[in-house]
Amino acid sequence: MKKLLAMLLACMMLVSLLGVSAFASETELEPVTLSIWFHGSTVTPDASEKVMEEVNAYLQEKINVTLEPIWGTWGNFDEATVQALAGGDKVDIYFTSNWSANEYNKYARDGYWVKLDDMLEEYAPHLVELIPQGIWDCAVTNGYDGMGVYGVPALKDTATQICWDVNGTLLASLDYDVDAVCEAGLDYYSDEFEEMLQAAKDAKGGDFYPLLIEPAVLERMITHTSLVTGDLNGANVLSYYYDPEHPSKDIGSTIVNKFGTEEFAKFAARTYELAQKGFISPSCQSPATANDYRTATQSSGEYLFSTQSYAFGCELDYAKARGIDVRMVPETAAYMDCTSGQGAMMAISATSPNPERALMFLDLLNSDPKLMTMLNYGLEGYTYTTNDDGTITFIDEARAQYSPWTNGMGNIRILPPTDAQGADFYERFSAYYDAAETLPFGGFIFDATDVETEGAALANVWAEYAFNLMSGAVDPETVLPEFLQKMEEAGINEFVSAAQTQLDAYLAG
Amino acid sequence: MDEKLRRTRPERLSPSWLDRHKKTLVLLSMAAPTAIWLFFLRYLPMGGIVLAFKDYKVNPRNPSFVSNLINSDWVGLKNFEFLFKTNDAWIMFRNTLAYNAVFIVLGVVIPVALAVMMNEITKKFVAKTYQTMMFFPYFLSWVVVSYFLNAFLDAQYGMLPAAQRAAGEAVTNWYTTKGPWPFILVFANLWKNVGYTTVLYLAAITGIDATLYEAAAIDGATKWEQVRYVTLPHLRTIISILFIMNVGKIFNADFGLFYNVPMQNGALLSVTQVIDTYVYRAFMVTGDISRSSAAGLLQNVLGFICILGANTIVKKIDADSSLF
Amino acid sequence: MTKKKNLRLNSVSLGTEVVIHIIMAAFSLCCIIPFVFVIIIAFSSEESIRAIGYSFTPLSWSTDAFSYAFDKLPQIWRSYFNSIFITVVGTVTSTLMCALYAYVLYRPDFKYRKFFNFFSFFTMIFGGGLVPTYVVCTQVLGLRENYAALIVPLLVNPFNIIIMRAFFKSSVPLELIEAATIDGSGEYHTLFRIVAPIAKPGVATVALLNALAFWNEWYLSLLYIKRNKVLQPLQALLMELQNNVQYLNQMAGQLGAAAINEAAKMPSQSLRMVLVVLIVVPIACAYPFFQRYIVAGLAVGSIKG
Repeated sequence: MKKLLAMLLACMMLVSLLGVSAFASETELEPVTLSIWFHGSTVTPDASEKVMEEVNAYLQEKINVTLEPIWGTWGNFDEATVQALAGGDKVDIYFTSNWSANEYNKYARDGYWVKLDDMLEEYAPHLVELIPQGIWDCAVTNGYDGMGVYGVPALKDTATQICWDVNGTLLASLDYDVDAVCEAGLDYYSDEFEEMLQAAKDAKGGDFYPLLIEPAVLERMITHTSLVTGDLNGANVLSYYYDPEHPSKDIGSTIVNKFGTEEFAKFAARTYELAQKGFISPSCQSPATANDYRTATQSSGEYLFSTQSYAFGCELDYAKARGIDVRMVPETAAYMDCTSGQGAMMAISATSPNPERALMFLDLLNSDPKLMTMLNYGLEGYTYTTNDDGTITFIDEARAQYSPWTNGMGNIRILPPTDAQGADFYERFSAYYDAAETLPFGGFIFDATDVETEGAALANVWAEYAFNLMSGAVDPETVLPEFLQKMEEAGINEFVSAAQTQLDAYLAG
Repeated sequence: MDEKLRRTRPERLSPSWLDRHKKTLVLLSMAAPTAIWLFFLRYLPMGGIVLAFKDYKVNPRNPSFVSNLINSDWVGLKNFEFLFKTNDAWIMFRNTLAYNAVFIVLGVVIPVALAVMMNEITKKFVAKTYQTMMFFPYFLSWVVVSYFLNAFLDAQYGMLPAAQRAAGEAVTNWYTTKGPWPFILVFANLWKNVGYTTVLYLAAITGIDATLYEAAAIDGATKWEQVRYVTLPHLRTIISILFIMNVGKIFNADFGLFYNVPMQNGALLSVTQVIDTYVYRAFMVTGDISRSSAAGLLQNVLGFICILGANTIVKKIDADSSLF
Repeated sequence: MTKKKNLRLNSVSLGTEVVIHIIMAAFSLCCIIPFVFVIIIAFSSEESIRAIGYSFTPLSWSTDAFSYAFDKLPQIWRSYFNSIFITVVGTVTSTLMCALYAYVLYRPDFKYRKFFNFFSFFTMIFGGGLVPTYVVCTQVLGLRENYAALIVPLLVNPFNIIIMRAFFKSSVPLELIEAATIDGSGEYHTLFRIVAPIAKPGVATVALLNALAFWNEWYLSLLYIKRNKVLQPLQALLMELQNNVQYLNQMAGQLGAAAINEAAKMPSQSLRMVLVVLIVVPIACAYPFFQRYIVAGLAVGSIKG
């Protein structure tokens, strides 16, 4: 018996020795399989298999990695990743952000992500180089192992700017000088604004609702509130205080309840007034129908003014898709804050057996155009063809089977531009975003752990009032005081002061 | 050798051991598959109940679920606090209990009445057709039902506002008018579940021995008396069982009904907010599994108390019909 | 006594039956109309939905959404197969397990009856919650990326056990079991040859409930099928599309232009209804199969002479 065991042991040792020498002579890296969980993908199993075959051939040659993607979709990502993370699944890399359910800062705090600071120089030299400092600053958060970087931010549309989306075709037909109107900007509170809406309504009939709004965006745009990273996800109640005369410039060092400001009261009253005059569709005022209605109405071009959180070049896409002249009239300046800085990230899971290799992969993904293009756009000749000027044209049929979420993957500036974007797209793209203003509180992240109980209650108060007030469905005269009263009961003061204390400490340090 | 001896001894001493216990063993073998399943998929995870009293964090040094659970800090009842944070907390408890109480009562009366009526239809084919049609709502998800209802009530496109407009009346915005919603929700719930429950009662009626009716008829019992003295007593067991089980779920609301059907409209929240929607909205902003576990545990404990109460009451009335 | 006489003697008056018919017809109509509505939307053109919303009388008709479903979703046929496979295997297994367990609980002479009764009942009220169950399934039982993950977690429902036991209790007299035992019938034989046939309506009802549960299940796929998506059942495919739309809508404020671009790629509103039709029709067709046993004895009570 003992003899047998000894022999077995010897055999095993021999095999492992052989194994070690074998791979040492061939390549320095032992082969590993990495799984990575993407967000927002529309990828069929067949298409994935086809693309991954080539991706993996390339990856094995480069860093001896076999990639096993999990194509999370918009609808299932939140629920599935929360379970997988809590259950300790062996996944190496997760998509994360400040808006998805596996919220970057919270999950860093709770120990789900690996702290990267000590590994970056060694395993991700390109990443350190390529991502601007301002964006790295946003990735710094107070995680389980102290302040540091717990995820790799994506180099995508990294600034926030909110614009009026103007239907130029309709405006011109109402005998307005579109260029002049757009040049002068739109004033929500002015009589001219209302006159234009009235003119459109008169021209198109009583069933036409010229002001197509997304209430949360409209509110941010008109009152110039700015999001505080770490605020309630999808039920924001906080804003930095600012001077309404100089939006975005004099952003101070104070955090306020954004519904408690004078500007909000004024905005809510105006929105209610416009809604009462029949400029806002009732469909926009119901959270369940608002979005289907907005998507449908935008694509049919049946609006005069709409709200748009801007992404560079989007007006070209919209004009093409809607068949009208689409103009973007900036209402806020473009500024870089952590809302956009943390908008898409990749974090390495604490359960990953090979965090170094995962980081090496992320380094390669963000710096190697060939890899990024393959993963993001698919294969040449299968999902796209290349044109003479370096742009690509999608083969719609196959692209429909393989379309990961472009911006969610990483550095999109190394992708080839599409024919719709034009050959110099990424030069213009980079110029726009690199010029964006950085705000003084750039890297501040509010940690709401201690006031989560208040947050949970506030989210429910928010659900009862905020949407209706922001969409003009209810009269703020009576409802706003009620809302503020209930917020107080739910603990808004504790919530705000917790944020303020942290901001003070941040600005002092 | 010793071991073997010991093992065989009982058999040798009482050769009928197997025989005596054969019935029990065979019955045990029948219960085994389900019992094993229950052990693994229900009892083993129950260790997770402690989540409700912990601040769940990952231990990056050993990130397995069990190790995380052990390493997370105890926080006592802190995870339950958010349920009682607002002054509106009582509203969601009231709504949950009141709606469920109505559902329980009507959910017995109406399906039993329908099943009894259906049993009296002489044309079997027609009865089957009704029955099939009644089952249809069960196939549709609440999201689809909410679209359907919206086709009537939508302020812009809906048929009712359109009719009001045509008649020159003021248009009602149904999704901001609280008054009708308790009725709409009760109706929607019955509409969706009645067909399903009716099947249960119908199957129970089908199992009644026909000779009982004949005997009653010969004794001169009218149809109504037959229903009262033959059908209903036979349904007693299943009615009590469904009743007890529904009482156990009285603190758990049907999330889809209360979240989707009112189109998530805030203005209706005081009549549509139930514990489950409150917990969901809180979870969406905090993403905290400990807190959801706490809410679930509270609902279960309260439900358990209710079920014990209901069972005792039923037992007092009719010992045979109680659940345990 | 002739059959005819008995019929008149033992059925409700004509007037009462007319009233019953009116009530039943009205309620049945109420139940079927929404489904008709779903079908109408499935065949409505997208322009019509845009112009007047969901309506019983669309401006124009179209079958575009149907052809889109079959052309653009290559997964749909495979998903159909998956759903049918899971439902058939799941229903047979779960009904069998349920009958076995319920039979044991039904036997008053079984020594550990009380224990097993409580053992199943308790799980109706208390559970470990989602995450612990997920951990046990994936890490202890290996239920991930396979068909078993879509079947095993749904196999037992204590509610069904209680229902089944109630049916056994009310339709099979205990004397019958005793007689069978004296005749030397084994327990399995007694259950399958004597008890189950008598309690056929009950067994069919539970089988129907099981079949519906398996057919409608989508959450298991979301949890356990991530890499091997070819195993996705139809309902999961539908829910994924539905959730995608809903999510993008909710997140539009946060995602900005990205969400709008993505939302534009999403299936149209009529396509969502097409998928509902594709899901409901097969299970609705299977329904009469179960119903045959459930309603078989209907009205027999009053006619049999």
